[in-house]
Amino acid sequence: MPDSNDIILEIRDLKMHFPVKKGLFSRTVGQVRAVDGVSLKIRRGETVGLVGESGCGKSTLGRCVIRLYDPTEGRIFFNGRDISQAGPAEMRALRKDMQIIFQDPNESLNSRHSVEEILEEPFIIHDVGSPEERRIWIRQLLSRVGLPESAAERYPHEFSGGQRQRIGIARAIALKPKLIVCDEAVSALDVSIQSQVLNLLMDLQDEMNLTYIFIAHGLPVVKLISDRIAVMYLGKVVEFTSSQRIYDAPQHPYTQALISAIPEADPEHRTERIILQGDVPSPINPPSGCAFHPRCRFATERCKKESPQFRQLGNDEHWVACHHAGELVATSSES
Amino acid sequence: MFQLRPITKRRLQRFHSLKRGWYAFLFLSICLAFTVLAEVFINSRALYVQHEGKSSFPTYGDPIPGKVFGLGYGYETDYKELQAHFAASGSSSKVIMPLIPWGPNEMDYSVPPPAKPSAKHWLGTDIMGRDILSRLVYGFRVSISFALLMVGMTYSIGVTLGCLSGYYGSWIDLITQRLQEIWMCLPFLFIVIIITAFWSPGFVGLAFICAIFSWMGIASTMRAMTFKEKSREYVTAARSLGAGTGRIVFRHILPNTLSIVISSLPFQVAGGISALTSLDFLGYGVPPPMPSWGELMEQGLGRLDAWWILGSVATAMTIILISITFIGEGLREAFDPKRHSTYD
Ligand SMILES: Nc1ncnc2c1ncn2[C@@H]1O[C@H](COP(=O)(O)OP(=O)(O)O)[C@@H](O)[C@H]1O
Ligand SMILES: [Mg+2]
Repeated sequence: MPDSNDIILEIRDLKMHFPVKKGLFSRTVGQVRAVDGVSLKIRRGETVGLVGESGCGKSTLGRCVIRLYDPTEGRIFFNGRDISQAGPAEMRALRKDMQIIFQDPNESLNSRHSVEEILEEPFIIHDVGSPEERRIWIRQLLSRVGLPESAAERYPHEFSGGQRQRIGIARAIALKPKLIVCDEAVSALDVSIQSQVLNLLMDLQDEMNLTYIFIAHGLPVVKLISDRIAVMYLGKVVEFTSSQRIYDAPQHPYTQALISAIPEADPEHRTERIILQGDVPSPINPPSGCAFHPRCRFATERCKKESPQFRQLGNDEHWVACHHAGELVATSSES
Repeated sequence: MFQLRPITKRRLQRFHSLKRGWYAFLFLSICLAFTVLAEVFINSRALYVQHEGKSSFPTYGDPIPGKVFGLGYGYETDYKELQAHFAASGSSSKVIMPLIPWGPNEMDYSVPPPAKPSAKHWLGTDIMGRDILSRLVYGFRVSISFALLMVGMTYSIGVTLGCLSGYYGSWIDLITQRLQEIWMCLPFLFIVIIITAFWSPGFVGLAFICAIFSWMGIASTMRAMTFKEKSREYVTAARSLGAGTGRIVFRHILPNTLSIVISSLPFQVAGGISALTSLDFLGYGVPPPMPSWGELMEQGLGRLDAWWILGSVATAMTIILISITFIGEGLREAFDPKRHSTYD
């Protein structure tokens, strides 16, 4: 278990707003509040799952964290150092420590480059090793992710989806990073392949003491791999706790709805399925107060006016953004 | 270690399988090889002269004065005359002339110009008594070098500006776009006429002027392609590895836009040839007496009674432009991204 005091990444009130531009002079007519005030502490060596419906800002959050985007507001501390304003030179050095694995390896691997060129790129950019050393490392990386050394001479399209994702993983671990954002890294793969790739990710984590931010839109996959799970809704993290507690005692009505939607293997345990009313509101114009209130079964007047704090429940390692958290457990277990 | 990417290999195979484009490509390659070696086949200089036990190969190199071969003059030897001279004197000296012993600027007044096609002049002579076949072949060399030079310049300008405006967007894009619009409104011919009125641009200068007026199409294609490519995930992946702008543009974006650039190349070359021909036709092209198709065309139109002038040049031009177009079509087919994969 990761040491709960060894924080590798702290996000404080992070916001990422994309301007919506219109017209001849690109006037800014609004903001997409893709990430709208997220605070999290992530421990060294753990896997934090990030779940939520498509469009709720998971990818944006992941990309902000590794500074592929410049956040609009808020701070990011990596190993205790504020990197939210880091300049290009500082960022270049940081790139070695933070990597990303994408959903679709068709898109994230340049089809014009051979596997050798793809895997050599990180070494070239950071100017490590001689050409001979790199050749050896590339072959070691390939066998580490379960591909034959002969793969080096081939091109991405010659591989299956799972193998291609392994190439993406090999590239991400080439520089021995500390933190990897897995942005739906297995979502595009067949179920049988998914578990193989998940196993590979877990082995690598043990071996290299990696920290993962594991993004997925469905809970089941995330539960397999995550120590803790953060649930996102409309640019905000609404609940954050251990994956066991998310399943056993979800506090936020949104999390409860997500859990109830998972098909249960054991019919004895089957709970009433909570159907969410309406659509996800637009992040350009989020609802007042608690962004979830238009779809919430328990919404009160207070929820419409006042935005809930992201607060710790008692002394537990459990954070929720809901005015009525704690009261609602009873309600949901009764039904 | 040179290795073709499999997709490139498949494209080449596909190009090969499209017969029309492939034969046009072979034909044009032969034409190109032929013009490069034109001096060996079509020339007023002899291929080989044997005189007083000494051999010489006058085709390339400095002109050899007549005195060397025992003719009484100091200017360049007239090899046809030399051949006749040797034959008449019955000496053992020998002259071997090329297949077509006429240079492009050599005038033959033994038959009144313009002379009909005959065994001596296969396509006849023009109004100044110059062999038309010779002028066609050397004119092709001028045209094709002009077109390649111009296309090279066009692409340099177009790709650079298009890539810059697609990659950086914002004000760079705004400026390039407006520049492009203004440029498209300028009347090319008038500008060329005005420029040539006080400056004679020469061969390279002319290619440059033409390039300056034809980069807009490539720039807008490149702009769109760059814009699309830069937001793709493999670019984000490179950025997350710490790649700088130079690396992203030259190693990632440009190679991925190459297929568009390549498949429009033949059409650009055809455009270049036509541009030079029309400028020559109007008298604003390459300086005389450089052999040129446009000049022949102008002569031919002025002397429709000498039908072989216009007939030859029009046929040659048609054949060349059609074969280039066939090659272009073939390439476009072979590089069609929809045929191979969605992600390319
Ligand atoms: N580069 C961008 N520019 C403008 N809007 C964006 C950009 N990236 C994401 N968005 C918007 O931000 C919201 C969150 O997107 P994203 O983070 O991709 O969601 P998720 O990964 O959870 O599906 C979406 O509404 C999306 O349209
Ligand atoms: Mg996403």
